[in-house]
Amino acid sequence: MKYGVKDLVKRYGNLEVLDRVSIQFEENKITCILGPSGCGKTTLLNIIVGSIAQDDGEVIGFDKEDMGFVYQEDRLIEWKNVRDNIEFVLRDRMDRKTREEIIYRYLKLVGLYEYANYYPTQLSGGMRQRISILRAFAYPSKILIMDEPFKSLDINSKQTIMEFTLKLKELKGKTCILVTHDIEEALTLGDNIVILSKRPARVKRIVENLHIADDNEDNAKGYRSTLRGLIEGEFID
Amino acid sequence: MNDRRYSIIARLGIVCLWALSSKLVSNEIMIPTIGGTLVNLIDIVTDSSFPMIIRSTLLRGLAGFLISLSLAIILGIAANISRLIYNFMMPILNFLKSVPTMAIIILALIWLSNSNAPMFVGFIMVFPILYETVLNGILNIDSKITDMAQLYKVGRITLIRDIYIPSVIMNLKTVLTSTLGLNFKMVIAGEVLSQPTYAIGSNLQLQKLYLNTPGVFAWIIIIIILINVLEWGIESAMKILKIRRQWK
Repeated sequence: MKYGVKDLVKRYGNLEVLDRVSIQFEENKITCILGPSGCGKTTLLNIIVGSIAQDDGEVIGFDKEDMGFVYQEDRLIEWKNVRDNIEFVLRDRMDRKTREEIIYRYLKLVGLYEYANYYPTQLSGGMRQRISILRAFAYPSKILIMDEPFKSLDINSKQTIMEFTLKLKELKGKTCILVTHDIEEALTLGDNIVILSKRPARVKRIVENLHIADDNEDNAKGYRSTLRGLIEGEFID
Repeated sequence: MNDRRYSIIARLGIVCLWALSSKLVSNEIMIPTIGGTLVNLIDIVTDSSFPMIIRSTLLRGLAGFLISLSLAIILGIAANISRLIYNFMMPILNFLKSVPTMAIIILALIWLSNSNAPMFVGFIMVFPILYETVLNGILNIDSKITDMAQLYKVGRITLIRDIYIPSVIMNLKTVLTSTLGLNFKMVIAGEVLSQPTYAIGSNLQLQKLYLNTPGVFAWIIIIIILINVLEWGIESAMKILKIRRQWK
Protein backbone atom coordinates (compact mmCIF):
# COMPACT_ATOMS: atom_id res chain seq x y z
CA MET A 1 0.00 0.00 0.00
CA LYS A 2 1.54 3.29 -1.14
CA TYR A 3 -1.01 5.66 0.37
CA GLY A 4 -3.38 4.78 3.16
CA VAL A 5 -4.42 4.94 6.77
CA LYS A 6 -4.41 1.99 9.15
CA ASP A 7 -6.42 1.60 12.36
CA LEU A 8 -6.70 5.36 12.92
CA VAL A 9 -8.14 6.40 16.26
CA LYS A 10 -8.92 9.97 17.28
CA ARG A 11 -10.58 11.24 20.45
CA TYR A 12 -11.34 14.74 21.68
CA GLY A 13 -11.51 14.18 25.44
CA ASN A 14 -14.22 11.58 25.95
CA LEU A 15 -15.62 12.13 22.46
CA GLU A 16 -14.49 9.38 20.14
CA VAL A 17 -14.33 10.65 16.53
CA LEU A 18 -12.49 7.96 14.57
CA ASP A 19 -12.61 4.31 15.54
CA ARG A 20 -9.91 2.16 13.87
CA VAL A 21 -10.38 3.60 10.39
CA SER A 22 -8.38 1.80 7.70
CA ILE A 23 -8.47 2.88 4.04
CA GLN A 24 -6.22 2.18 1.10
CA PHE A 25 -6.04 4.98 -1.50
CA GLU A 26 -5.45 3.59 -4.97
CA GLU A 27 -2.93 5.54 -7.02
CA ASN A 28 -4.35 7.80 -9.76
CA LYS A 29 -7.90 7.04 -8.66
CA ILE A 30 -10.51 9.13 -6.88
CA THR A 31 -11.39 7.72 -3.49
CA CYS A 32 -14.55 9.24 -2.08
CA ILE A 33 -14.98 9.29 1.65
CA LEU A 34 -18.72 9.38 2.09
CA GLY A 35 -20.34 9.89 5.45
CA PRO A 36 -23.05 11.83 7.24
CA SER A 37 -22.35 15.42 8.28
CA GLY A 38 -20.27 15.68 11.45
CA CYS A 39 -19.11 12.06 11.38
CA GLY A 40 -15.41 12.95 11.43
CA LYS A 41 -14.54 13.13 7.72
CA THR A 42 -12.68 16.44 8.02
CA THR A 43 -10.84 15.16 11.11
CA LEU A 44 -9.70 12.19 9.01
CA LEU A 45 -8.47 14.58 6.27
CA ASN A 46 -6.68 16.76 8.80
CA ILE A 47 -4.84 13.71 10.12
CA ILE A 48 -3.90 12.66 6.58
CA VAL A 49 -2.46 16.10 5.73
CA GLY A 50 -0.69 16.29 9.10
CA SER A 51 -2.60 19.26 10.53
CA ILE A 52 -3.60 17.26 13.61
CA ALA A 53 -2.16 14.12 15.21
CA GLN A 54 -3.95 10.81 15.60
CA ASP A 55 -4.18 9.10 18.99
CA ASP A 56 -3.43 5.73 17.49
CA GLY A 57 -2.89 4.09 14.13
CA GLU A 58 -0.77 4.88 11.13
CA VAL A 59 -0.79 7.27 8.16
CA ILE A 60 1.10 5.74 5.27
CA GLY A 61 2.83 7.53 2.40
CA PHE A 62 1.52 11.09 2.86
CA ASP A 63 4.19 12.58 5.10
CA LYS A 64 6.77 13.17 2.38
CA GLU A 65 4.36 14.05 -0.42
CA ASP A 66 3.29 17.48 -1.65
CA MET A 67 -0.48 17.81 -1.91
CA GLY A 68 -2.95 20.02 -3.72
CA PHE A 69 -6.09 21.16 -1.91
CA VAL A 70 -9.62 22.17 -2.79
CA TYR A 71 -11.96 23.31 -0.04
CA GLN A 72 -15.62 24.15 0.25
CA GLU A 73 -14.60 27.82 -0.13
CA ASP A 74 -12.38 28.71 -3.09
CA ARG A 75 -9.73 30.44 -0.91
CA LEU A 76 -8.62 32.69 -3.76
CA ILE A 77 -6.63 35.82 -2.93
CA GLU A 78 -8.88 38.78 -3.73
CA TRP A 79 -6.13 41.21 -4.78
CA LYS A 80 -4.52 38.76 -7.22
CA ASN A 81 -5.89 37.94 -10.64
CA VAL A 82 -6.52 34.36 -11.79
CA ARG A 83 -3.00 33.97 -13.22
CA ASP A 84 -1.34 35.30 -10.05
CA ASN A 85 -3.54 33.16 -7.81
CA ILE A 86 -2.25 30.04 -9.53
CA GLU A 87 1.30 31.40 -9.57
CA PHE A 88 1.17 32.01 -5.82
CA VAL A 89 1.31 28.28 -5.02
CA LEU A 90 3.90 27.55 -7.74
CA ARG A 91 6.33 30.40 -7.00
CA ASP A 92 8.55 28.57 -4.50
CA ARG A 93 8.44 25.31 -6.45
CA MET A 94 9.87 26.26 -9.86
CA ASP A 95 11.49 29.02 -11.90
CA ARG A 96 9.53 31.81 -13.55
CA LYS A 97 9.62 30.34 -17.07
CA THR A 98 8.29 26.95 -15.95
CA ARG A 99 5.58 28.66 -13.91
CA GLU A 100 4.46 30.70 -16.90
CA GLU A 101 4.36 27.57 -19.09
CA ILE A 102 2.31 25.60 -16.56
CA ILE A 103 -0.19 28.41 -15.97
CA TYR A 104 -0.57 29.02 -19.71
CA ARG A 105 -0.94 25.28 -20.45
CA TYR A 106 -3.54 24.65 -17.74
CA LEU A 107 -5.64 27.71 -18.51
CA LYS A 108 -5.61 26.81 -22.22
CA LEU A 109 -6.38 23.17 -21.48
CA VAL A 110 -9.66 23.98 -19.79
CA GLY A 111 -10.54 26.96 -21.98
CA LEU A 112 -10.14 29.56 -19.24
CA TYR A 113 -7.22 31.49 -20.71
CA GLU A 114 -9.37 34.53 -21.41
CA TYR A 115 -9.98 34.82 -17.65
CA ALA A 116 -6.26 34.98 -16.77
CA ASN A 117 -6.40 38.70 -15.89
CA TYR A 118 -9.76 38.61 -14.10
CA TYR A 119 -9.87 39.27 -10.36
CA PRO A 120 -11.89 36.89 -8.10
CA THR A 121 -14.49 39.62 -7.48
CA GLN A 122 -15.19 39.66 -11.23
CA LEU A 123 -15.99 35.92 -11.28
CA SER A 124 -19.08 33.91 -10.31
CA GLY A 125 -18.96 31.45 -7.41
CA GLY A 126 -18.75 28.51 -9.80
CA MET A 127 -15.97 30.08 -11.84
CA ARG A 128 -13.98 30.88 -8.68
CA GLN A 129 -14.23 27.26 -7.58
CA ARG A 130 -13.02 26.13 -11.02
CA ILE A 131 -9.93 28.30 -10.59
CA SER A 132 -9.39 26.81 -7.13
CA ILE A 133 -9.59 23.29 -8.63
CA LEU A 134 -7.30 24.30 -11.49
CA ARG A 135 -4.78 25.71 -8.99
CA ALA A 136 -4.80 22.38 -7.12
CA PHE A 137 -4.23 20.39 -10.33
CA ALA A 138 -1.49 22.78 -11.55
CA TYR A 139 0.39 22.33 -8.27
CA PRO A 140 3.15 19.76 -8.74
CA SER A 141 1.92 16.95 -6.50
CA LYS A 142 0.81 13.37 -6.81
CA ILE A 143 -2.02 13.80 -4.33
CA LEU A 144 -5.09 16.00 -4.38
CA ILE A 145 -7.28 16.49 -1.32
CA MET A 146 -10.83 17.78 -1.81
CA ASP A 147 -12.98 18.65 1.20
CA GLU A 148 -16.64 19.06 0.14
CA PRO A 149 -15.62 21.25 -2.82
CA PHE A 150 -19.12 21.41 -4.35
CA LYS A 151 -21.08 22.05 -1.14
CA SER A 152 -21.69 25.78 -1.64
CA LEU A 153 -22.56 25.55 -5.34
CA ASP A 154 -25.98 25.50 -6.98
CA ILE A 155 -27.10 22.34 -8.80
CA ASN A 156 -26.17 23.56 -12.31
CA SER A 157 -22.72 24.81 -11.32
CA LYS A 158 -22.13 21.64 -9.32
CA GLN A 159 -22.71 19.38 -12.35
CA THR A 160 -20.49 21.53 -14.61
CA ILE A 161 -17.69 21.69 -12.07
CA MET A 162 -17.82 17.95 -11.37
CA GLU A 163 -17.37 17.39 -15.13
CA PHE A 164 -14.54 19.97 -15.08
CA THR A 165 -12.85 18.06 -12.23
CA LEU A 166 -13.18 14.74 -14.09
CA LYS A 167 -11.72 16.30 -17.24
CA LEU A 168 -8.72 17.60 -15.33
CA LYS A 169 -8.34 14.25 -13.59
CA GLU A 170 -8.22 12.49 -16.97
CA LEU A 171 -5.68 14.98 -18.29
CA LYS A 172 -3.51 14.94 -15.23
CA GLY A 173 -3.52 11.74 -13.20
CA LYS A 174 -3.47 12.33 -9.48
CA THR A 175 -4.38 10.28 -6.45
CA CYS A 176 -7.48 12.10 -5.26
CA ILE A 177 -9.26 11.95 -1.94
CA LEU A 178 -12.71 13.52 -2.02
CA VAL A 179 -14.67 13.99 1.17
CA THR A 180 -18.40 14.42 0.71
CA HIS A 181 -21.77 13.69 2.28
CA ASP A 182 -23.50 13.70 -1.12
CA ILE A 183 -24.14 10.28 -2.69
CA GLU A 184 -24.53 11.73 -6.22
CA GLU A 185 -21.11 13.42 -6.00
CA ALA A 186 -19.54 10.15 -4.86
CA LEU A 187 -21.23 8.22 -7.70
CA THR A 188 -20.17 10.76 -10.35
CA LEU A 189 -16.56 11.17 -9.27
CA GLY A 190 -15.49 8.28 -7.09
CA ASP A 191 -13.61 5.24 -8.38
CA ASN A 192 -13.78 3.84 -4.87
CA ILE A 193 -16.39 4.90 -2.36
CA VAL A 194 -15.60 4.49 1.33
CA ILE A 195 -18.76 4.67 3.42
CA LEU A 196 -18.27 5.86 6.97
CA SER A 197 -20.69 5.34 9.84
CA LYS A 198 -22.02 8.05 12.18
CA ARG A 199 -19.66 9.19 14.93
CA PRO A 200 -17.44 7.53 15.98
CA ALA A 201 -16.62 7.00 12.31
CA ARG A 202 -15.90 3.46 11.25
CA VAL A 203 -15.50 2.13 7.71
CA LYS A 204 -18.84 0.45 7.00
CA ARG A 205 -18.14 -0.58 3.46
CA ILE A 206 -15.86 0.13 0.51
CA VAL A 207 -17.57 0.07 -2.88
CA GLU A 208 -15.84 0.01 -6.24
CA ASN A 209 -17.54 2.25 -8.78
CA LEU A 210 -16.94 0.98 -12.32
CA HIS A 211 -18.30 4.12 -14.05
CA ILE A 212 -20.06 2.01 -16.64
CA ALA A 213 -20.55 4.07 -19.78
CA ASP A 214 -22.08 1.28 -21.75
CA ASP A 215 -23.42 1.72 -25.27
CA ASN A 216 -26.60 0.51 -23.73
CA GLU A 217 -27.68 3.51 -21.63
CA ASP A 218 -30.12 1.37 -19.66
CA ASN A 219 -27.24 -0.81 -18.42
CA ALA A 220 -25.31 2.23 -17.18
CA LYS A 221 -28.40 3.67 -15.51
CA GLY A 222 -29.21 0.32 -13.96
CA TYR A 223 -25.70 -0.09 -12.56
CA ARG A 224 -25.72 3.43 -11.06
CA SER A 225 -29.15 2.87 -9.58
CA THR A 226 -28.09 -0.43 -7.97
CA LEU A 227 -24.99 1.22 -6.53
CA ARG A 228 -27.02 4.16 -5.22
CA GLY A 229 -29.44 1.73 -3.56
CA LEU A 230 -26.58 -0.14 -1.95
CA ILE A 231 -24.98 3.06 -0.59
CA GLU A 232 -28.32 4.45 0.62
CA GLY A 233 -28.89 1.16 2.41
CA GLU A 234 -25.61 1.56 4.26
CA PHE A 235 -26.49 5.16 5.14
CA ILE A 236 -29.88 4.17 6.63
CA ASP A 237 -28.33 1.37 8.70
CA MET B 1 -22.35 67.76 -6.63
CA ASN B 2 -24.48 68.83 -3.65
CA ASP B 3 -21.67 67.93 -1.23
CA ARG B 4 -19.27 70.11 -3.19
CA ARG B 5 -21.72 73.01 -3.08
CA TYR B 6 -22.16 72.71 0.70
CA SER B 7 -18.39 72.54 1.10
CA ILE B 8 -17.92 75.80 -0.88
CA ILE B 9 -20.73 77.46 1.13
CA ALA B 10 -19.04 76.36 4.40
CA ARG B 11 -15.70 77.82 3.28
CA LEU B 12 -17.32 81.08 2.27
CA GLY B 13 -19.07 81.10 5.66
CA ILE B 14 -15.71 80.82 7.47
CA VAL B 15 -14.28 83.71 5.42
CA CYS B 16 -17.38 85.84 6.14
CA LEU B 17 -17.12 85.04 9.86
CA TRP B 18 -13.44 86.04 9.78
CA ALA B 19 -14.20 89.33 7.97
CA LEU B 20 -17.06 90.07 10.37
CA SER B 21 -15.12 89.30 13.56
CA SER B 22 -12.07 91.30 12.44
CA LYS B 23 -14.40 94.20 11.70
CA LEU B 24 -16.08 93.88 15.12
CA VAL B 25 -12.85 93.50 17.11
CA SER B 26 -11.07 96.06 14.96
CA ASN B 27 -7.64 95.12 16.27
CA GLU B 28 -5.02 93.68 13.82
CA ILE B 29 -3.13 91.97 16.68
CA MET B 30 -6.19 90.07 17.95
CA ILE B 31 -7.91 89.24 14.64
CA PRO B 32 -6.23 90.51 11.47
CA THR B 33 -8.21 91.69 8.47
CA ILE B 34 -8.37 89.62 5.30
CA GLY B 35 -6.61 92.42 3.40
CA GLY B 36 -3.78 92.64 5.95
CA THR B 37 -3.33 88.87 5.88
CA LEU B 38 -3.21 88.83 2.07
CA VAL B 39 -0.54 91.55 2.04
CA ASN B 40 1.55 89.48 4.46
CA LEU B 41 0.90 86.33 2.42
CA ILE B 42 2.21 88.01 -0.73
CA ASP B 43 5.25 89.33 1.18
CA ILE B 44 6.03 85.82 2.51
CA VAL B 45 5.54 84.05 -0.82
CA THR B 46 7.62 86.56 -2.79
CA ASP B 47 10.49 86.49 -0.28
CA SER B 48 13.63 84.84 -1.72
CA SER B 49 13.87 82.39 1.24
CA PHE B 50 10.28 81.10 0.80
CA PRO B 51 11.10 78.15 -1.53
CA MET B 52 13.90 77.06 0.81
CA ILE B 53 11.60 77.26 3.87
CA ILE B 54 8.89 75.18 2.17
CA ARG B 55 11.44 72.69 0.83
CA SER B 56 13.07 72.23 4.24
CA THR B 57 9.79 71.65 6.10
CA LEU B 58 8.50 69.39 3.33
CA LEU B 59 11.68 67.32 3.38
CA ARG B 60 11.59 67.04 7.17
CA GLY B 61 7.93 66.00 7.12
CA LEU B 62 8.25 63.52 4.25
CA ALA B 63 11.50 61.97 5.48
CA GLY B 64 10.08 61.59 8.99
CA PHE B 65 6.87 60.11 7.62
CA LEU B 66 8.68 57.64 5.37
CA ILE B 67 10.88 56.52 8.28
CA SER B 68 7.76 56.05 10.46
CA LEU B 69 5.96 54.18 7.69
CA SER B 70 8.88 51.87 6.86
CA LEU B 71 9.60 51.08 10.51
CA ALA B 72 5.90 50.50 11.20
CA ILE B 73 5.67 48.02 8.29
CA ILE B 74 8.89 46.18 9.15
CA LEU B 75 8.27 46.03 12.91
CA GLY B 76 4.54 45.32 12.49
CA ILE B 77 5.21 42.33 10.24
CA ALA B 78 8.10 41.18 12.47
CA ALA B 79 5.86 41.44 15.56
CA ASN B 80 3.31 39.18 13.87
CA ILE B 81 5.96 36.60 13.08
CA SER B 82 7.89 36.79 16.34
CA ARG B 83 6.28 36.85 19.77
CA LEU B 84 9.55 38.23 21.13
CA ILE B 85 9.38 41.37 18.95
CA TYR B 86 5.66 41.77 19.72
CA ASN B 87 6.31 41.72 23.47
CA PHE B 88 9.37 43.96 23.06
CA MET B 89 7.36 46.60 21.17
CA MET B 90 4.43 46.56 23.61
CA PRO B 91 6.02 48.68 26.42
CA ILE B 92 7.60 51.04 23.85
CA LEU B 93 4.20 51.67 22.28
CA ASN B 94 2.56 52.16 25.69
CA PHE B 95 5.34 54.60 26.61
CA LEU B 96 4.92 56.59 23.38
CA LYS B 97 1.16 56.70 23.79
CA SER B 98 1.08 57.70 27.46
CA VAL B 99 4.01 60.15 27.80
CA PRO B 100 2.87 63.77 27.15
CA THR B 101 3.93 64.97 23.69
CA MET B 102 5.51 68.09 25.15
CA ALA B 103 7.85 66.00 27.34
CA ILE B 104 9.02 64.08 24.29
CA ILE B 105 9.51 67.30 22.32
CA ILE B 106 11.74 68.66 25.13
CA LEU B 107 13.75 65.42 25.16
CA ALA B 108 14.06 65.56 21.36
CA LEU B 109 15.39 69.12 21.61
CA ILE B 110 18.02 68.00 24.12
CA TRP B 111 19.08 64.89 22.21
CA LEU B 112 18.90 65.99 18.57
CA SER B 113 20.00 68.83 16.33
CA ASN B 114 17.60 71.72 15.64
CA SER B 115 16.93 70.37 12.20
CA ASN B 116 16.28 66.73 13.17
CA ALA B 117 14.24 67.27 16.35
CA PRO B 118 10.99 68.17 14.45
CA MET B 119 11.26 64.95 12.43
CA PHE B 120 11.49 62.96 15.66
CA VAL B 121 8.46 64.77 17.07
CA GLY B 122 6.43 63.78 13.99
CA PHE B 123 7.72 60.22 14.25
CA ILE B 124 6.69 59.92 17.92
CA MET B 125 3.13 60.92 17.09
CA VAL B 126 2.62 58.99 13.88
CA PHE B 127 4.59 55.78 14.41
CA PRO B 128 2.27 54.23 17.06
CA ILE B 129 -0.78 54.81 14.81
CA LEU B 130 0.92 53.31 11.75
CA TYR B 131 2.38 50.38 13.73
CA GLU B 132 -1.02 49.43 15.16
CA THR B 133 -2.62 49.76 11.73
CA VAL B 134 -0.02 47.33 10.34
CA LEU B 135 -0.60 44.90 13.22
CA ASN B 136 -4.38 45.00 12.73
CA GLY B 137 -3.95 44.65 8.95
CA ILE B 138 -2.17 41.35 9.47
CA LEU B 139 -4.53 40.18 12.21
CA ASN B 140 -7.46 40.78 9.85
CA ILE B 141 -6.04 38.49 7.15
CA ASP B 142 -8.43 35.60 6.53
CA SER B 143 -6.89 32.62 8.34
CA LYS B 144 -8.23 30.35 5.57
CA ILE B 145 -5.85 32.06 3.12
CA THR B 146 -2.84 31.62 5.41
CA ASP B 147 -3.86 27.98 6.09
CA MET B 148 -4.06 27.42 2.33
CA ALA B 149 -0.59 28.95 1.88
CA GLN B 150 0.79 26.74 4.65
CA LEU B 151 -0.67 23.55 3.15
CA TYR B 152 0.75 24.47 -0.28
CA LYS B 153 4.10 24.97 1.50
CA VAL B 154 4.37 28.58 0.31
CA GLY B 155 7.63 30.11 1.59
CA ARG B 156 7.70 32.81 4.25
CA ILE B 157 9.06 35.48 1.90
CA THR B 158 6.31 34.83 -0.67
CA LEU B 159 3.74 34.88 2.14
CA ILE B 160 5.02 38.25 3.40
CA ARG B 161 5.28 39.77 -0.09
CA ASP B 162 2.01 38.45 -1.53
CA ILE B 163 -0.30 38.30 1.50
CA TYR B 164 1.02 40.31 4.43
CA ILE B 165 2.26 43.44 2.59
CA PRO B 166 -0.85 43.88 0.35
CA SER B 167 -3.14 43.44 3.41
CA VAL B 168 -1.06 45.94 5.35
CA ILE B 169 -1.13 48.45 2.47
CA MET B 170 -4.91 48.10 2.14
CA ASN B 171 -5.28 48.88 5.85
CA LEU B 172 -2.72 51.70 5.75
CA LYS B 173 -4.56 53.39 2.89
CA THR B 174 -7.36 54.32 5.29
CA VAL B 175 -5.04 56.20 7.66
CA LEU B 176 -2.34 57.40 5.25
CA THR B 177 -3.75 60.85 4.45
CA SER B 178 -4.79 61.63 8.04
CA THR B 179 -1.43 60.54 9.52
CA LEU B 180 0.49 62.46 6.85
CA GLY B 181 -1.40 65.63 7.83
CA LEU B 182 -0.87 64.93 11.54
CA ASN B 183 2.82 64.32 10.91
CA PHE B 184 3.23 67.71 9.20
CA LYS B 185 1.39 69.50 12.00
CA MET B 186 3.70 67.88 14.57
CA VAL B 187 6.83 68.62 12.52
CA ILE B 188 5.82 72.31 12.35
CA ALA B 189 5.12 72.30 16.12
CA GLY B 190 8.61 70.82 16.61
CA GLU B 191 10.06 73.56 14.38
CA VAL B 192 8.38 76.27 16.48
CA LEU B 193 10.32 75.01 19.49
CA SER B 194 13.61 73.90 17.91
CA GLN B 195 13.95 76.90 15.53
CA PRO B 196 15.84 75.45 12.56
CA THR B 197 17.19 78.13 10.15
CA TYR B 198 14.78 77.33 7.33
CA ALA B 199 11.38 76.13 8.60
CA ILE B 200 7.73 77.09 8.57
CA GLY B 201 7.62 76.68 12.37
CA SER B 202 10.56 79.06 12.91
CA ASN B 203 8.80 81.71 10.79
CA LEU B 204 5.53 81.25 12.69
CA GLN B 205 7.43 81.85 15.92
CA LEU B 206 9.15 84.90 14.39
CA GLN B 207 5.80 86.46 13.41
CA LYS B 208 4.53 85.78 16.94
CA LEU B 209 7.57 87.53 18.47
CA TYR B 210 6.85 90.64 16.37
CA LEU B 211 3.15 90.36 17.35
CA ASN B 212 2.43 90.24 13.61
CA THR B 213 -0.81 88.23 13.73
CA PRO B 214 -1.55 88.77 9.98
CA GLY B 215 1.81 87.06 9.34
CA VAL B 216 0.78 84.14 11.60
CA PHE B 217 -2.54 83.89 9.72
CA ALA B 218 -0.68 84.01 6.38
CA TRP B 219 1.56 81.12 7.44
CA ILE B 220 -1.49 79.15 8.64
CA ILE B 221 -3.03 79.59 5.16
CA ILE B 222 0.22 78.33 3.59
CA ILE B 223 0.24 75.27 5.92
CA ILE B 224 -3.40 74.46 5.10
CA ILE B 225 -2.69 74.69 1.35
CA LEU B 226 0.47 72.58 1.73
CA ILE B 227 -1.25 69.79 3.68
CA ASN B 228 -4.21 69.78 1.27
CA VAL B 229 -1.86 69.51 -1.72
CA LEU B 230 -0.02 66.62 -0.04
CA GLU B 231 -3.26 64.79 0.78
CA TRP B 232 -4.49 65.35 -2.76
CA GLY B 233 -1.16 64.00 -4.06
CA ILE B 234 -1.43 60.84 -1.95
CA GLU B 235 -5.07 60.24 -2.95
CA SER B 236 -4.24 60.76 -6.65
CA ALA B 237 -1.26 58.40 -6.42
CA MET B 238 -3.48 55.74 -4.83
CA LYS B 239 -6.13 56.19 -7.53
CA ILE B 240 -3.50 55.88 -10.29
CA LEU B 241 -2.09 52.73 -8.65
CA LYS B 242 -5.61 51.26 -8.44
CA ILE B 243 -6.34 52.05 -12.11
CA ARG B 244 -2.97 50.62 -13.21
CA ARG B 245 -3.66 47.44 -11.25
CA GLN B 246 -7.05 47.04 -12.91
CA TRP B 247 -5.52 47.51 -16.36
CA LYS B 248 -2.63 45.16 -15.71
